[in-house]
Amino acid sequence: MSENAQKKYMKKSEIATFGIGLFGVALLTGWMPDYTATFFADFAFKGKGFDSEAMASAISGVFLVAGIVGAVCELVIGYLVDNTKTKLGKVKPWIGFGVIPLALISMLVFVAPNTNNQTLAIVWMFVIYSLYTTFCCAVESPANCFGSLCSPNPSERSSAISIASFLRSVGQSGGMVVILVVGLIMKALMGEQQFKNAEGQGLDLVISTAVCALGLILFVMIFFTNNKERVPFTQEKVSLKDAVKVVFMNKNLLMVSLTKLCGFGRGVYGTVSLYIAIYLLGSKDLKLGLLLPMGIGTAVGTLLVNLVLKKFSTKKTFILFCMYGASSLAILFFVSKGIGFNSTLIIPFLILNFFCGLQHGNTNVTPNIMIADCVDEIEYKTGKRQEGLAYAGYGLFSKIASAFTKALGPWLLYTWSGYMVSADANVAYATQSDATLNKLLMIYTIIPAVFVVLQAVPIFFYDMVGEKKEMITKALIERREQAGLMQTEVKEG
Amino acid sequence: MANKEKGLNTKLYAVIVFFGILAALVLITFTTFKSRYTAFHPDEVARSYVDTIVQTGDGYNAYKNALISKNYKYGDYIREYFIYPVIYRDTDYQPGADRGELKGYNDDEYIGEKTANDDGSLSGEFIAEMYKIYELLIDEYGWDNYDNIFRSYFNALVTIREQYFGDKYMTDEIMFTTLESNVRTYGEALTGTEEEFDENTGVQISEKATGRYQAKYGEDYKFTTTIKSENEIDAKLHIGLMNEDKLAKYKVSKEEIKDVKSYTVQVTDEDGTVVVENDITVVKIGQSWYVDDTTADMRALYLFYR
Repeated sequence: MSENAQKKYMKKSEIATFGIGLFGVALLTGWMPDYTATFFADFAFKGKGFDSEAMASAISGVFLVAGIVGAVCELVIGYLVDNTKTKLGKVKPWIGFGVIPLALISMLVFVAPNTNNQTLAIVWMFVIYSLYTTFCCAVESPANCFGSLCSPNPSERSSAISIASFLRSVGQSGGMVVILVVGLIMKALMGEQQFKNAEGQGLDLVISTAVCALGLILFVMIFFTNNKERVPFTQEKVSLKDAVKVVFMNKNLLMVSLTKLCGFGRGVYGTVSLYIAIYLLGSKDLKLGLLLPMGIGTAVGTLLVNLVLKKFSTKKTFILFCMYGASSLAILFFVSKGIGFNSTLIIPFLILNFFCGLQHGNTNVTPNIMIADCVDEIEYKTGKRQEGLAYAGYGLFSKIASAFTKALGPWLLYTWSGYMVSADANVAYATQSDATLNKLLMIYTIIPAVFVVLQAVPIFFYDMVGEKKEMITKALIERREQAGLMQTEVKEG
Repeated sequence: MANKEKGLNTKLYAVIVFFGILAALVLITFTTFKSRYTAFHPDEVARSYVDTIVQTGDGYNAYKNALISKNYKYGDYIREYFIYPVIYRDTDYQPGADRGELKGYNDDEYIGEKTANDDGSLSGEFIAEMYKIYELLIDEYGWDNYDNIFRSYFNALVTIREQYFGDKYMTDEIMFTTLESNVRTYGEALTGTEEEFDENTGVQISEKATGRYQAKYGEDYKFTTTIKSENEIDAKLHIGLMNEDKLAKYKVSKEEIKDVKSYTVQVTDEDGTVVVENDITVVKIGQSWYVDDTTADMRALYLFYR
């Protein structure tokens, strides 16, 4: 094998700043959807006397349209990235220059026009959020595929991707800390009641968005100044036909993308977490208690995957974690049934919730490494390097899967489980039958477990591992050496 | 050079972008805050105070923009002066004093069987009973004399709750929940309610009822509040007339008040007919404006529809 295949190309600081860059992107993109919905619904046009039903439908429409815009943009941006050839590289310009409009548009989402015209208000919501979605795709999608370009060494690349994925998953929840800190500072400066009044006007959201947007700029600029693309891009122009072929015709890439689709029901547990806290554990305040151990488990899992990947291939790691994930959810189900739905269940439930969270580290990291490997395979077969489209294809399938999850969750909760809504104005949550409580537990455990198993199925057909992967890595490095394309300032490990 | 990547000095670019965006974000945030935060606009403070009362009869929440809430969280003021004196009635509790050593009726030992086993139904009946008291008090006093409202209401609450639950257990949560539920119901009695069904299960969650406003101004009435005029006011004279004892309770001194403005706010229905007008005075402390609730007379807003 060529010496270059074993070399360490990245400076240690580059691995950290790659993660910092993804942290910055996730800080804003993780913040925006939920808080935009809250802002549009509760604050943007408060006191204007708009028809609330029309506004609620419009807000649903805004996110539906944004989903479609996002899916189309994934492919368009992927196509454009693959046709970008600059001195900075193909991905870095999108990230480094794209963050400027992204930060400004994100901020403008929280600056509603002062209008009494409901139609104008609705049009504004559609336009501004679609614009945000477009610029978000233009930065987030290239940022996610930077991992496949940071090093030609697959092992070094995998480590960088897993560390960056860990920081990205932390960044996604960063907004919750920002709004907390912003609230504390506002309280200290304004006094509690005046803070409450400002909060009632959505002003804490405005300031928090500014902080997240500034965080995006700061962290991405650190990445932009320190990180280099080290895998040379190919010169051939990618046609639209090639683009579609890449997404749907490469078997391995399609299998990785299909994991999203096959496992779409994994996320339905989120729909019932509030009800699990209320009915099974006894207090709605425990919802955060449920999400926190799972979140910590996810972060720990992201690091754990990195260790497992040093022993096993991506394929084995993915399947192993899926089996573990399904088992941990099944154990949670049986332990909960065994103890019964009372306060004794709280501690075991929260501990097991942490262990259930570990599996999510796998879905955050391993597919990204697999896609980078698929990009190598596509380059080996076609001579064209198409990171943009490969990650865009995965992003497209993720968005479709997310739409299915959003449809399935409420159906399971409100129709399948037989959940009864309180008809008494003074009783917030009606008493549920045992059958309903069991089904709520199943929505949180067994049903996601089934989808965790299903998401592993396509990976059985994935074969970019072992000798094949080594052969392709070696062949590509040799090919680049012959073409004189390898970076000269590589660093020996 | 890594940071002078083939032509573009990325470090310089990063610094320019960071400070450029920082400036833009500060500008947008500052402008938005200034235009949206009502406390910076005296006319809007006056208008929204009247609007809160007139739309749903909610003089209770209107106080959140008044002097009473300048240094206190409104709820904390109510706790300190009206709720804790009830919960700790058998102790020597004084407003603002430490309650650490005091034993009040919020102690678990006062929880009776009915309280422990209530799934919300008995609380519902109790809240409905308390509504009769609340309605009587508002019709009698309006919210201007909040001292009377809080004292009479909470005293009645203690007695009636004991009749329903058979224990003396009492917490600030019980008191707030009951009061705020009654405030909401009073608002619905004015505005009327629509038939509503849960969108997921189809269960009916509210019935259609005609409100007092609807009875007088039609089912589709719509009230709009606007500033009719800014009135001449002698700031020094007004500050001099303000109740010093009340200000002391609010932890506000007369010296802090930098300016005073007075407005006439008018309420019109959909065809522009004026249904009621009310004068209101606002005072400036720091950069923010507050309704002067020590001199406010809002009785007209509780009487115009009768």
